[in-house]
Amino acid sequence: MRKIRYFSPPIILTYVGLLFLTVVTGFPVVYSVFGSFKPNREFVLGGARILPMEWRLANYVEAWELANFAQYTWNSLYVAIPTVIFSLFFVSMAGYVFSRFQFPGRKFMLVTLLATMFLATGTVTLYPIFRVARFLGIHQSLWGIIVVYIFSTNAAFIYLIMGYLSGISMEMDQAATIDGCSKFGIYWRIILPLAKPILATLGLLAFRAAWNDYMLPLVFTMARPAMRTLTVGVIALRDTRDGAAAWNLMLAGTTISLIPIIVIYLITNKYFIRGITAGSVKE
Amino acid sequence: MKKTSLVYKIYKHRVAYLMLSPVIVGFFVFTLYPQVWVLSLSFFRYDGFRPPTWHGLQNFVRLFQRDPLWWRSVWNTFYFSFGKLAIELPLALILAVVLNRNLFGRNFFRGLFFLPHVTSTAIMALVFYFIYSPYQGILNGILGSLGIIEEPIDWLGTGGIAMISTMLVSVWQNFGINMVLFLAGLQAIPDDLFESAEIDGANSAQRFWYITIPALGRMLQVIVMLAIIGSLKSFDLFRVLTGGGPGTDTMVLMLYIFNYFFDRGALGSGATVPQFGYASALGVVASVIIGIVTGAYLWWSRRLGDNQR
Repeated sequence: MRKIRYFSPPIILTYVGLLFLTVVTGFPVVYSVFGSFKPNREFVLGGARILPMEWRLANYVEAWELANFAQYTWNSLYVAIPTVIFSLFFVSMAGYVFSRFQFPGRKFMLVTLLATMFLATGTVTLYPIFRVARFLGIHQSLWGIIVVYIFSTNAAFIYLIMGYLSGISMEMDQAATIDGCSKFGIYWRIILPLAKPILATLGLLAFRAAWNDYMLPLVFTMARPAMRTLTVGVIALRDTRDGAAAWNLMLAGTTISLIPIIVIYLITNKYFIRGITAGSVKE
Repeated sequence: MKKTSLVYKIYKHRVAYLMLSPVIVGFFVFTLYPQVWVLSLSFFRYDGFRPPTWHGLQNFVRLFQRDPLWWRSVWNTFYFSFGKLAIELPLALILAVVLNRNLFGRNFFRGLFFLPHVTSTAIMALVFYFIYSPYQGILNGILGSLGIIEEPIDWLGTGGIAMISTMLVSVWQNFGINMVLFLAGLQAIPDDLFESAEIDGANSAQRFWYITIPALGRMLQVIVMLAIIGSLKSFDLFRVLTGGGPGTDTMVLMLYIFNYFFDRGALGSGATVPQFGYASALGVVASVIIGIVTGAYLWWSRRLGDNQR
C-alpha cells in the first residue's frame, strides 16, 4: 500500500467530500433522535433547529402508553425472534443436505431455488400469499406473518451456508457416521456448532429484515390494528391522524424502532458487512 | 431391492429429503403457488366473492389500450430507477475506490455510510416526509436560514420535484450497501495490476477506466443487476413518502399493483368492486417487464460477465 500525503489538494478535497457525506448520512437519524424529545409545538414553528429547546421525555411515555407502541414493540419482537430461529434452522438443514449429499433431484432443486432469487415478486404475489394464510387459518395472528417469513424460500441464505460448509472438511462427518451417528445427528451435533459464525451473520440479516419489514405486516394487520408491528404502527399514526398532530410521538416511535437495529449494527458491524459480501467474494 | 434403482436411492436418502422438506414445502406454498395463481387469475374476472369468470385476454387488452395510468407508472418506475442509479452507483464506486486506499478514518466512513442500509425503508421514508415538509420541515428551515431559498419549497407536492426528492432518499439509503459490495470486489483485484499500469505511465483516470472497471468484471455486473431489480421493485418508499402523488407523478409499478389488490381507495378511479383478475394481469406484465429489463441488461453488459473472477 502506497503512502498518502495528507496535505495535498486532492486529499483535502476528498476529506471535504467525505465529511459532507458523513453529515448527510447521519442527519436523518440524528434528526429523529433529537426530534423525539421535542414538544410538538416546536415542530409547528418550523425552523432550522435540530436540538430541542425543551427536552420532553413524556413523548416516550405517551408513545408507549397512549399510542400503543408498547404493544407494537412487543409484536415486532414476537415476530422477529421466532423468524430468526426457524429460518436459521430450516436454511441450515437445507444448506447441509445440499452441500454434503448426492441424491436424486438435488441439482434440479438447487437450480430452481436459485432461480427464485430473480423472480419479480414484490407486491405481485402478496394477495395469493395472504389467501394461503387465510386458508391455513393463520391470517389473523402474528404467526401468519412468521410462517410466511420462515417458509418464504431464502435461496441466498442456503447458498451462503453451502459456501461456508464447502470450506469445512468432511472428515468429521465421516468419523461420526462410522460411530453410528445419523444424518440429522451429524447436522445437530457437528455441523451446527461449526457453522456458528455464518449463522450469526445470517441471523442478523434475518432479524433486520423481519424487524424492518413494512409490506407484509401492513397487509396482515389491515383488519387487526392490535397486531401491528412497530414499523406499521408508527406509519399508521400518520395516516390516521392529522399529520401535524403527533410528530413528536411518531419520532419517538421511529427512535424506538431505529435504536435496537442500530445498536446491533454497531456491535456486530463486521458480521453484518461480512454477511452481505460473503456471497459475492468467491475466490 | 437393487442397490442402484432410483427408489432405493430415494429411500437411502430419506432423512435428507425430510431435512429439506421445510424449504421444499415453503417453495411450493409461498413461492410457486402464488406465482401460478397470479398467472392463471390474469385471464379471469374476479372480485374475491363470486367465483372467477373467464375473461380471455380482456384484462391484457384493457391494460395495453385503456390504462394510461399504468403506462405512466411504468415510465415513472424507469425514470426513478435510472435517475437514482445514475447518482448512486457512480457515487458508490468512487467511494469504494477512495476508501480502498489507506486513508485515515476509512473504517469509520465505511461503517457510517453502510448504516442507512440497516434502517427500515418505510420508517426512514416517514422521517424524510417530516424533513421535506414545506412549512414545518427542517430542510426548508435550514435552506431558509442560510438564505438559499426565500419561499418554502414543497419537496413532495410539486410535480417534477417530488420524484427527485424520492430518488435522493433512495440514494441515501442504498449508496452504502453498493459501496461495500464494490469494496469487496476491489479487494480481490491484485495490487500489481495497478503498479504495472502506473509504471507504464497510466494516470489515475486511465487506471480506473481500463483496469478497475474490467477487473471488477462479473461482480460489477451482478451488483448493478441487483440494484436495477431492487429499484424497479420499490414499494415501501413510495407508499410512505408520496403515496404516488402529487397527482400520479410518483406512481410506480409495485404501488399501482398494491393499490389494485389492497387499497382501492387510493386508485382515485372510484373503483369499488375488487378487480383481482386485472390486478393479476398487471402483476404478470410487471414481472415480464422486469424480466426483459434484466435480460437486456445482462446482454448489454455481457463483456463484463466474461471476466469471471
